[in-house]
Amino acid sequence: MNISEATPPGSAWKQGLKDALPLLGAYIPIAISFGLISIQSGFGVLETILISVFIYAGASQFLFVAMVASGSPLWLVVIMTLLINARHVLYAPNITAYLGTDKRWIPLMHCLTDQIFALSLTILPKLAPQDRMAWYTSAALLAWFSWIAGTAIGAIAGDELTQRWPLINDVLPFALPALFLVLVAPRCTNLVWTAALACAAVLALVVKLLGYPNVAIPLAAIAGALVFHAMKPRLPSDDAQPTEAKP
Amino acid sequence: MSTEIWLTLVSIAVGTYLIRVVPYVWMQRKQARSHNEGMMADTPDWLTVMGPAMIAAMFGTSLVPAHPTPLAWIASAVGIIATLLVWRKTRSMGVPTFVGVLVFGLVEVVFR
Repeated sequence: MNISEATPPGSAWKQGLKDALPLLGAYIPIAISFGLISIQSGFGVLETILISVFIYAGASQFLFVAMVASGSPLWLVVIMTLLINARHVLYAPNITAYLGTDKRWIPLMHCLTDQIFALSLTILPKLAPQDRMAWYTSAALLAWFSWIAGTAIGAIAGDELTQRWPLINDVLPFALPALFLVLVAPRCTNLVWTAALACAAVLALVVKLLGYPNVAIPLAAIAGALVFHAMKPRLPSDDAQPTEAKP
Repeated sequence: MSTEIWLTLVSIAVGTYLIRVVPYVWMQRKQARSHNEGMMADTPDWLTVMGPAMIAAMFGTSLVPAHPTPLAWIASAVGIIATLLVWRKTRSMGVPTFVGVLVFGLVEVVFR
């Protein structure tokens, strides 16, 4: 996709839905698992759905129900779940340059998950400024609603579903690494960016395998950034900035 | 759910939202200040590197299968290669992702 001028009315909305479609392959099965686990942990159907509506952050939702079910102190539950989400601090500043000053962006930040951030950082620079809110709103709302719908399905019929179609849980979540790969690949335009991003990806995988999934992303990203800065002198000055155009 | 657990849920929801929105407001004001002073409103250099690095890190963590059996690792490797090959051909997002999932699923089903 390469849009440099405003698109026809409705087109940015459709493009947002189309771009966010691969996320459903990962969101729905994971949300079904969350719904199922939440019910098994003693939460009601409505409570489970409201957790997905209001918190809307996968790992911390799983931690929330697990810690509450095990009787952990509630202040510790709040601290641990917020610590997991702390990496989100870096997302909005990375895309603010593409958003403009419209106040409607403020409520829309609720939907800025890992995946919507990754999509936005790739797609927003390619869109005409007047199309960005429509694109983001449709992509973000589709992802959010699919998360809520998946949670509801999991809470109501997750047990039966996973028994009848066990492959749903195994196969569809592969949409996530496949999508991240196509978001990362265009940025590997030279040796320095390739080395930095490969370092971040490999280190994140290793740290997760070692049993520290919650620190894997920030730790690996910092390492990748350090590799970039260490190797930056090798870059021609034009390549020192990320590949996307400025707004 | 007891009142205490509801309050915990609300605290986490509000905290998570603030983690997402406050940096946006901060950055927007920083850019507005730069604009008023007649300077280029630019994203800090370190942030422009951290963004892609975080996506790469998410790619790394998402590669670990839910059930990390040898078959799941092989299926992941084949799925990633298929995704990359189709991406090189199409330079799009949807088709490579779809083909990656399809190939991953086929390996899982055929060799299970």
